[in-house]
Amino acid sequence: MQDFVSLLPLIVVGAGAILLMLLAAFEKLEVETGALISMVFYGAAFFIQLVVGGGPQDVIFDKIFNGMLATSNFSMAAGLVIFGCGFFTSMSCHSYFGVNKFCTLDFYAIKMFSVCGMVLLTMAQELVTAFIALEIMSLGIYILVGYDRTRLTATEAILKYLMLGAFAGAFFTMGAALIYGGAGSTKFVAISQFIAANPAGQPLLIGGAFFIFIAIFFKIAAFPFHAWVVDVYDGASAPVTGFMATALKAAVFALFANFIALSSGFHGQWIDFLFWVAVLTMFGGNLVAIGQSNIKRMLAASGIVHSGYLLIALVAINAEQFTGSVIGYYLAAYAVGTLGMFAAMSYLGGSGEKRVNFDDFKGLAKVRPYSAAAITVFLLSMAGIPPTAGFMGKFYIITSAISAGQMALAVLGVVSSILSMWYYLRLVISMYFHDASESFETQGAPLATISTFVLVVFVFAIGLYPIVI
Amino acid sequence: MFSEGLFYAFSVLAVLGALGLVLFRHPMRGAMSLVVTMISLAGLYSLLSAKLIFVLQLIVYAGAIMSLIIFIIMFLNIQDNDLPVEEKRFAYTAGGIVVLIPVVYFLIKIAGTIPGVEATIVGSGFGGIKEVGLVLFQDWLLPFEIVSLLLLVTLVGAVVLAGKRRVGK
Repeated sequence: MQDFVSLLPLIVVGAGAILLMLLAAFEKLEVETGALISMVFYGAAFFIQLVVGGGPQDVIFDKIFNGMLATSNFSMAAGLVIFGCGFFTSMSCHSYFGVNKFCTLDFYAIKMFSVCGMVLLTMAQELVTAFIALEIMSLGIYILVGYDRTRLTATEAILKYLMLGAFAGAFFTMGAALIYGGAGSTKFVAISQFIAANPAGQPLLIGGAFFIFIAIFFKIAAFPFHAWVVDVYDGASAPVTGFMATALKAAVFALFANFIALSSGFHGQWIDFLFWVAVLTMFGGNLVAIGQSNIKRMLAASGIVHSGYLLIALVAINAEQFTGSVIGYYLAAYAVGTLGMFAAMSYLGGSGEKRVNFDDFKGLAKVRPYSAAAITVFLLSMAGIPPTAGFMGKFYIITSAISAGQMALAVLGVVSSILSMWYYLRLVISMYFHDASESFETQGAPLATISTFVLVVFVFAIGLYPIVI
Repeated sequence: MFSEGLFYAFSVLAVLGALGLVLFRHPMRGAMSLVVTMISLAGLYSLLSAKLIFVLQLIVYAGAIMSLIIFIIMFLNIQDNDLPVEEKRFAYTAGGIVVLIPVVYFLIKIAGTIPGVEATIVGSGFGGIKEVGLVLFQDWLLPFEIVSLLLLVTLVGAVVLAGKRRVGK
């Protein structure tokens, strides 16, 4: 019974996806209703996940599924982030598609399918299952990226993403095959037993893990596989970009953390490698972000930098007693800031996303002071200014790096965080210290506006939660 | 000894077919060289006594899927002047090879560490429909089940991306 209840959030979202897929055949149903239906399902799944709770590692349906799925506190937290992302993205979509008319009901069905894949990914304890879950998630996202068939940048984005994603998928299967050849199993438990029995490190296993890391680096846009991210985020519509930047990253990092925390011997072998990837990802991302004049592209590049911070947290984990609390907290903190930013972009962007550059937001504070204040809060959270969620997230990551003895990494993390102020504050300056040249009129339903202000509350709530509790 | 020779023959053919798929300019030639890869892979499966996979590879991949792809290319009726002009393709190919050299070197080094094992005769039931079915539905039930989700996403996605849209509904 407990197994079934742990699986219930996934079943709810899967049922919602199939229901929406069937409803898409009806002429009468408006696309706005689809957004509301999907919100109900995400909300229900979120609530069930919260009530069920996690607990320590718990294998679901051990006999039937052969130990391939497991829940833990960490997978539960990642699941909550993913359901929350789905909920707020549906809210933004509701407003966005009121102005940009290219949506059909299938959009929400595909989004829910891809959430199913993400949740499976957070629970996967076996490489073949993880691969299939990764592909369910990615295929859904490809389609969402290319949904607007009339826009050339969207077509470019889907083509680039599909090609590179297939490439990453091929690397993943290659790695899984090599690991199977070395350890004789693709299950995480069996692999960790094999590593414990052979501490010297077997070439097949090292090679396999390396290829799987390449695939994961593609998905989280870590250096040197970050080049696609700017064009793809720019080509996708604003709510979809927000969804990709948050939910997808949460799911893939959950898999990455579960995989690398297999055993401390395995984690120890890869610390140096991850150290350099983390450093290069942070500074490479900052370098890309500073040069951007388009806000979506800047946020894409800043997403690379945030992947770098999460990699610091992965270097610093304790594989013996892995809890993932630092990573889970940072994922939630990053998600509320980024989702809020894209929710604001969804309703301020206007038809055809005509306001996307830094210059287009000049003087926003004079015309719409509340929206400008909300955007400022999100940017400060991403930059890591107290008392926002982003500050606490970075604080935990830096302290975990210090307590793991990675002093250099902690210092570099702080330096990168200071560098990132440059491009976050640029938008604040352009909103507050210029005169308005336009009136920033918005049409459509107000759900995206509401979600923006709810997320502002969340930024402070998540930031203050560890202090209050 | 004989099976070793067959293994090398099939492997070389598979790699050549894959190279042809990438390097031929006309899509039809690319598709035909993919058929070569598919059939040589089937040969490799048969050397491993994987009977069912061997048959499925021939019927489903080399047969059904490839004829579907070839039909589509034939319907499109692509002539030489429909193809894009790729002036720098040799430069890109050379660049790709240079990037791949370390990866290939790495893989060869890994393959070199695999201990040589004498070929053993597997039981007569190995790789048959019953045995594969038992493994699939007992040990690998979860991947089998979630593949259905994957196919559903693909199906809906193909309709959404290519089909007629009633916008707003």
